[in-house]
Amino acid sequence: MRGRSRPGVFWGSGVMRVSVAVLAIAFVALALLPQQSQFFFHVLGEPLAGLVAVPVKGMATLDRTLREWWMQYIALQGLSQQNRQLRETVQQLNGEVNRLREQAYMAERLASLLEFQEDKSVRTVAARVIGRSVSNWYQGAILNKGEDDGIQEQMGVMTPAGVAGRIVRTSRSASIALLTTDPNLVIAGMIQRTRDEGMVQGTSQGLVRMKYLPPLSSVKTGDAVVTSGLTGGFPRGVLIGEVDHVEESEDGLFRTAQIVPVVQSRHLDEVLIVVSPRSPEAMPSPDHELILPGAQNPTP
Amino acid sequence: MKVSAYMLLALSLFPFQVTLLSSFNPFGIQPDFCLVIACLVGFRTGQVHGLIVGFGLGFLQDLFSAGPFGLHTFTKAGVGFLSGVFARNLSNRDPHAAFVPVMACSGLSAMVFLLWSRMGMGLGEMLYGFSYILLPQAVLDGLVAIMANWVFGRWLVEAPSP
Repeated sequence: MRGRSRPGVFWGSGVMRVSVAVLAIAFVALALLPQQSQFFFHVLGEPLAGLVAVPVKGMATLDRTLREWWMQYIALQGLSQQNRQLRETVQQLNGEVNRLREQAYMAERLASLLEFQEDKSVRTVAARVIGRSVSNWYQGAILNKGEDDGIQEQMGVMTPAGVAGRIVRTSRSASIALLTTDPNLVIAGMIQRTRDEGMVQGTSQGLVRMKYLPPLSSVKTGDAVVTSGLTGGFPRGVLIGEVDHVEESEDGLFRTAQIVPVVQSRHLDEVLIVVSPRSPEAMPSPDHELILPGAQNPTP
Repeated sequence: MKVSAYMLLALSLFPFQVTLLSSFNPFGIQPDFCLVIACLVGFRTGQVHGLIVGFGLGFLQDLFSAGPFGLHTFTKAGVGFLSGVFARNLSNRDPHAAFVPVMACSGLSAMVFLLWSRMGMGLGEMLYGFSYILLPQAVLDGLVAIMANWVFGRWLVEAPSP
């Protein structure tokens, strides 16, 4: 046993004591005033975040270069490149098929009721993943676009294939996205075929489940799950995943669908951040009124 | 000098962990290199140094974490301090001796994250987190600590003996 009973050694010198006292105050502030102190630390850490973002971006470039070099020159260079191109094409085509299917459903149901205005001009900002999650408890990704590029918290993150996550923290030059597979992220979703709505949430196993589906819902394996557009961040009809199987909830009041997410978080390289889920011109004007068939036009 | 070295360590280790080392995830679990270094600094140079380095590394992690701010700062500073206290009562400080304190500190830190991030999500999520994230990560962090202690041990000056 090493006995170190010399007075002062446990807490060190005067400078150390001051450091420890400052840290202790910081801890107490974080514990007692979490909201205020989080804001304070965020402001305090802003320049530091900008400083650290520089080596992160540099190392991300190095990482990307090494990966690409490995993929292209070491591991079956021709096949690897072809495979990657094909996978990208399949993802784009899946996204396209889903978009067209969603449009067909919408057109079928609403065309006779409304003068449907196509909402195709969702504003997005392309970003690159420069870092992965800092711990195993939160599935996140560090993106190379921040407040200077108009990125704000709660904005949706997607790929051409579908939903990838949501922005939860921003700094001036970078932002952090919580991915769809994280249990702490909840997105309003909808079964595309039956139009049943529910809450889509990640699981610790890296899958996604859709909760609170109606007990009489006819949802089945293979059904596509899309965003409902009810909550902010995403436009309506973006693909989230495909139903793997359906089970009753523990209390028997709802059904729960296990979903295979369309975007694999481990293979995320480039993403689109949804700056505006709906363009201003596509939004109904304040004086616009929905006139249902059979109803009489209101007189001004 | 020491403060500059610690700042340099923090500013280089964190980007390294989230980029190049992010591919190193055996069994889907990524070791927390910042935690390992905070523990080792505490283990080799004393609890106050461990506390300060842990605070710095944790603060950096919090800036880029998808979780609530403060969790990494709290836990890293705590484990840095704890491992220093642990080392005070340990006679054997060869590289292998770091395994148990780092594993214990990693487990404690992960328990905080487990309770914070999975509370209210049901027993299944809690048990899964405990069995498939907390335990493997603690063992992995301990193993990484042995290697890091062996590689970097010569640069970490031990606290003066009485």
